[in-house]
Amino acid sequence: MTDQPVLDVRGLVVRRDDLVAVRGVDIQVRAGQRVGLVGESGAGKSLTALAVMGLLQLGWTTEGQVLHDGVDLTRISDRAFSSRRGRTLSMIFQDPLSALNPTQRVGAQITGVVRRHTEASRDDARAQALELFTQMHLPRPEQMLRAYPHELSGGQRQRVMIAMAMACYPQLIIADEPTTALDVTVQKQVLRLLDAAVQDRGSALLLITHDLSVIAAMCDHVLVMYGGRVVEEGPVREVLRSPRHPYTKGLLESQPTLDNIELEGTARLPSIRGNVPSLHDMPTGCAFRTRCDRATAQCEVVPVLEGDASRAACWHPEPALSQAGRS
Amino acid sequence: MLVFLARRFTFFVLALIASSILIFSLIRIAGGNVAAVMLGKAARPEAIDELMAELGLDRPLPVQYLDWVGGMLRGDLGTSFRTGESVTALLVDRLPVSVPLALGGMALALLVALPIGTYAATKAGSPIGTFVAMASQVGIAVPVFWAGVLLSLFFGVRLGWLPTGGWTPWSTSVSGAVQSLILPVTALGMVMAATLSRYTRTSVLDVMNEDYVRTARASGMTRGGALMRVGLRNASLPLVTVVGLLAAELIGGTVIIEEVFSLPGLARMILSSVSAREVIVVQSAVMVIVAFVMVVNLIVDVLYGVLDPRVRVAR
Amino acid sequence: MSTAADGMITAGELAGRGPDPAGARRGRRRGQVNTGLVVGLVMTVTFLAIAALSLVWTPADPNAVAPADRLLPFGSPGHLIGTDALGRDIASALMIGARTSIVVAAGAALLGLVLGTVAGLTAASARPFVDETVMRGADILLSIPGVVFALVLAATVGAGVGSTVFALSVFFTPSFTRVVRAAALRVLGEDYVAAAQLYGRNRLFILARHVLPNIFSVLIVQFTLYFAVGILTEAGLSYLGVGVNRPDISWGMLLKEAQETVGVASPLAIWPGLAIVFAVLGLNLLGDGLRDVLDPRLRKRAS
Repeated sequence: MTDQPVLDVRGLVVRRDDLVAVRGVDIQVRAGQRVGLVGESGAGKSLTALAVMGLLQLGWTTEGQVLHDGVDLTRISDRAFSSRRGRTLSMIFQDPLSALNPTQRVGAQITGVVRRHTEASRDDARAQALELFTQMHLPRPEQMLRAYPHELSGGQRQRVMIAMAMACYPQLIIADEPTTALDVTVQKQVLRLLDAAVQDRGSALLLITHDLSVIAAMCDHVLVMYGGRVVEEGPVREVLRSPRHPYTKGLLESQPTLDNIELEGTARLPSIRGNVPSLHDMPTGCAFRTRCDRATAQCEVVPVLEGDASRAACWHPEPALSQAGRS
Repeated sequence: MLVFLARRFTFFVLALIASSILIFSLIRIAGGNVAAVMLGKAARPEAIDELMAELGLDRPLPVQYLDWVGGMLRGDLGTSFRTGESVTALLVDRLPVSVPLALGGMALALLVALPIGTYAATKAGSPIGTFVAMASQVGIAVPVFWAGVLLSLFFGVRLGWLPTGGWTPWSTSVSGAVQSLILPVTALGMVMAATLSRYTRTSVLDVMNEDYVRTARASGMTRGGALMRVGLRNASLPLVTVVGLLAAELIGGTVIIEEVFSLPGLARMILSSVSAREVIVVQSAVMVIVAFVMVVNLIVDVLYGVLDPRVRVAR
Repeated sequence: MSTAADGMITAGELAGRGPDPAGARRGRRRGQVNTGLVVGLVMTVTFLAIAALSLVWTPADPNAVAPADRLLPFGSPGHLIGTDALGRDIASALMIGARTSIVVAAGAALLGLVLGTVAGLTAASARPFVDETVMRGADILLSIPGVVFALVLAATVGAGVGSTVFALSVFFTPSFTRVVRAAALRVLGEDYVAAAQLYGRNRLFILARHVLPNIFSVLIVQFTLYFAVGILTEAGLSYLGVGVNRPDISWGMLLKEAQETVGVASPLAIWPGLAIVFAVLGLNLLGDGLRDVLDPRLRKRAS
């Protein structure tokens, strides 16, 4: 296999008239790679994903390139794009109840995908759906196929969604907060199933979440988004162990862990001061500077991603781990 | 599903009973004295009482009610006091006018509104979508009788293509009957289409913004495919309800349109019977109309149960 | 009917013909004015102003017969819009007609609103049996076509402004009941209401203090939309001759007269129709605009 990435997003801008939600994002996902996209709500993660899938709502427009499988997806027709969606790239959505058609049996929704993209006969498609349900550990899979979405639990619905996304062995799966809407106890199971399914198929994964622990468990590369831009990116170990951008650092510190509860006792969980600025009054320059302790006049100019092991877009980054030396 | 059907049917029967009591009491309490009207102003009170007894109107109201309902259950809608004609026969005379008018109007409304509303939804935000939305907003404000008057002014008087009013019975000339229905049906249908197309547009727009349509697109349906296979099916749910509610409005429109075009339909029969204080005729005719609306709503709900799996289980 | 009915589409929604999601989204965007709302407001204010003016001044007495001046055309001196077959001034009649529309339609909408609010709040907060009874009763009333009901009532009680208002309000009440109940249930499901109940507040207090203020915007919107329905229905009834009669004047009645006295060829039939379209369109635009502004969630939550 060549080293050509399965997804190469270059300079992606997503806007609605004068509202710019994504301001020049580059993402590369190589075959089989698992990339995490992390950030608070409003950072532009979901819009980035929808822009890649070409499923933005009416009124939103994109600029830049989305290269996949040798074509720029922003330039092909809806028909040509449709023949790729669900086949070479597919997507899992956040809320599995609203994301499944309430008036169609879940089995039919899966066989629909299979039959849309392959020559499979009705029976073949049904056998494949059954196989998928078994892989997803759905109980009594044969009966499940005949169920309507409202008859399933949240976890079961999300497993159906994953099965649907996996049905055609896609090169890339985009999962947008796949576990956020689920009960905590179910989240782990669903992640494990997603993990196994991606592994089996050798698919690449672009996982969108606000939860760094999910990234740590699932991904090998991570991009941190803030204010519509990628502010830091690098291998997960690198970025999580020694974050260089103050925002990433703040994000990590505000994650509750057993450690900081035990060590600091009654001390309050640190948080990033201020709020995420709205799209209407995004600061010029570095979007984080209004909340950043290190901000200087220099920060009024947008910093670019720089670094070796991991790259951060910051004028005053934390020293890289390699420079500081591992202790 | 069976439980749902049983519950719905029980309510249908209860609703019929309740509305028959309501109609009966309303008309009997406020309906005036048919005998006094028949005998004229100069009639002696004794003569009026005598005629009342003869017509069976002196009996206690509950007895009269049971008599009326019992008759209807046997298919006997009562008789006119004046002419002695059976109400059933009167209805059979009038229904060939009213039923084609009402159904034609509804059919035209659906034929026009569903495609236009859907089209406007897919073009929302574009000039043509905005135009359709505005046109239906204006159409909603047009009273049905004014639409009728304008149509007959233009096509009847100005162009002379179609009769401005009046009725040619089916038995005399089928094409004549059709011609006398064209303008009334158009007036009724177009005004209802304005309402319905607005609703269609809203429903389709709502559904096309649903997550599951996005999922369908994410799994490889084209925009048109998602609209046809996922969108319309789900948009039909609220629309079915609307069509049911429009049934009552349809009757109201039919009543007025019959007056505009001087069609001898059910509405004119009720109007003239009301002024003649023909209480039995009025109450039976109104009951027939109400029963029609209730049957439509029953069908709508059953259809809803068929279309929406969530209802079947929940009820 | 329960299932479809709980979908909460009522005759009023039919009248207002539902919110316009695209419009609502547009409206919420920064710096954009809701044009429908502004246009509707201007039209409605014009309509109300003309009606108010007719209280103190009209060009002529609309009931004054003047055979010499009959059927004057549009633009005649002293009779701006012309005269009818009996020489009565049309502009004056239209102005008085606006007033009648307001008295009848707004009166009926208000009466229906009050009755429907009482019934709807009762249903929403009472025991399930009472709730079920009230709502099924509303369903039954909704099955009786408004025009037929009003026709029978007006013809038996006697035609006129009073009986028309009464007939319309009976026809409106069940729809208001449904809308109010649905809106009230939404508020009653909120956490702060549960908190108030924990504090031992009684039902009436909660309804008055929490529910009513929160459904107020819904009531305003519904009132506007039913005002419009009322104008259309009143015009229809008066056209049938069972609504408003001389010496009172209504637009529907004017249309009826125009058609009766000079045949359908008369341009007289244009003016009352235009007046109705103007008033109804204005109110519907206003109602829809208000809904977008006041309660953008209404549709989402209800469905």
